[in-house]
Amino acid sequence: MSFPLICQMSIRRISQRAKDEKTRKLLSRIIRVDQAGELGADRIYAGQIAVLGNTPVGPIIQEMKEQEQEHLETFNKLIVEKRVRPTALLPLWNIAGFALGAGTALLGKEGAMACTVAVESVIGEHYNSQIRDLMEDDPEKHKELIKKLSKFRDDELHHHDTGLEHDAEKAPMYDALSQVIKVGCIGAIWLSERI
Amino acid sequence: MCTSTGDRNPPQDTSSGPGGSASSQASNEGYNTQRTGQGAQYTDELNNSEDLVNEVEEEEMPEETEEEYQTKQAVLKASLPFVHQYGWTKKAIVAGAESLGMPPMVHGMFPRGGAELVFYFYEESNKELESYLKQNVKESKEKDEKIKTGPFIHDAIETRLRMIIPYIDKWPQAMAIQTLPQNAVQSWTNLSRVVDDIWFYAGDKSNDFNWYTKRVSLAAVYKSTEIYLIQDRSEDYTDTWNFLENRLEDVVSAGHLARNLQETNTVLSEGAKGFCVMTRNLLGMNNR
Repeated sequence: MSFPLICQMSIRRISQRAKDEKTRKLLSRIIRVDQAGELGADRIYAGQIAVLGNTPVGPIIQEMKEQEQEHLETFNKLIVEKRVRPTALLPLWNIAGFALGAGTALLGKEGAMACTVAVESVIGEHYNSQIRDLMEDDPEKHKELIKKLSKFRDDELHHHDTGLEHDAEKAPMYDALSQVIKVGCIGAIWLSERI
Repeated sequence: MCTSTGDRNPPQDTSSGPGGSASSQASNEGYNTQRTGQGAQYTDELNNSEDLVNEVEEEEMPEETEEEYQTKQAVLKASLPFVHQYGWTKKAIVAGAESLGMPPMVHGMFPRGGAELVFYFYEESNKELESYLKQNVKESKEKDEKIKTGPFIHDAIETRLRMIIPYIDKWPQAMAIQTLPQNAVQSWTNLSRVVDDIWFYAGDKSNDFNWYTKRVSLAAVYKSTEIYLIQDRSEDYTDTWNFLENRLEDVVSAGHLARNLQETNTVLSEGAKGFCVMTRNLLGMNNR
């Protein structure tokens, strides 16, 4: 009898209780980090508007900010509905997001757009992996949530493309800037999932 | 307050017990067919994948089965009456197991010893509290009354603490067991469960940092009242319930104080800004 078969037979059957527990943990992790992400994105745009609000690019950023606000409200409702603990780092992301937005906006319109592109690409990938996890767990049960996440992912990718259209790649030190922001976002996501 | 605490089940009923065993039977059959199908799949994967060993190891987590869980619960439940005699110890668990006709070796299922008994009691009391709160909320909805947060919370904490009273002679020992470092995480989780349930059924809708401040303050009230309770000698513990009322008032007044401070801060900063503008005007430094 082959080794894998022996291992398979010795694996104990996971009880229904444990399965429900796993789903609950997955769901709460997803909703928690998404709420934090949308708050962060909203604050980044707020920071950019504080610096670039009166320039021609202001209305575009304002429109993107309003879409992020919509996303944030959805997750705020989900937090209460699904009884999920919000991340304890919310005040930190509040300040850090605004600082990032304002900081990159001070590098000019291209800097702000580069920040947008970097953040939105990380968020787009992140939503995709969440959708995959939900599908793997139970596509029927999570149909509503998967639909919402798909729509939000499309919105974020639209923002990403808008950023590219508005000369993001002309920003000073684009590659370095983009890389640093992406790493920061991934770190923030990792932390918010756990804390 | 971190990691797995604070995320409770969404307000749907997940039934275990009879429902659980039926579903475990169904999945048993599925498991058999799954085995032969997956056997072939695994042979292929062995030829292709290098981290098959990791995969198998991950799946072989020591998850306890439904049967084990039910057995442990039954033994712990039977052990509770022996707490008055033996305290929250392995001896009580052994006595409980023997009363059910099981061999004393069953205590090996409980590596943490007396702590397991404490946690079982705590978790059962939490479940009882949750159903009591659910009932309250349902009744209020039927009578179409709005829940008054203050009295609701007071009533909830009093109910929960009253569940300790039957074991109050040995409760100080239980509290000591809970403060041991190896038990600290579980105790923290249990306490978080209590405050989260109370706030949830009181109608808390916060989704920002207030979520934490509310629960931390309530946990402090609960803990201090629990400590007061075990040394209270008054008739029906009325002193404890007065103590609880005072602590809850403190929390409310702390909230008002925080808000007053914030308003004062705003007024003061506006005043300072105005003073600066006035100074610049006087020195002719303004651009207007």
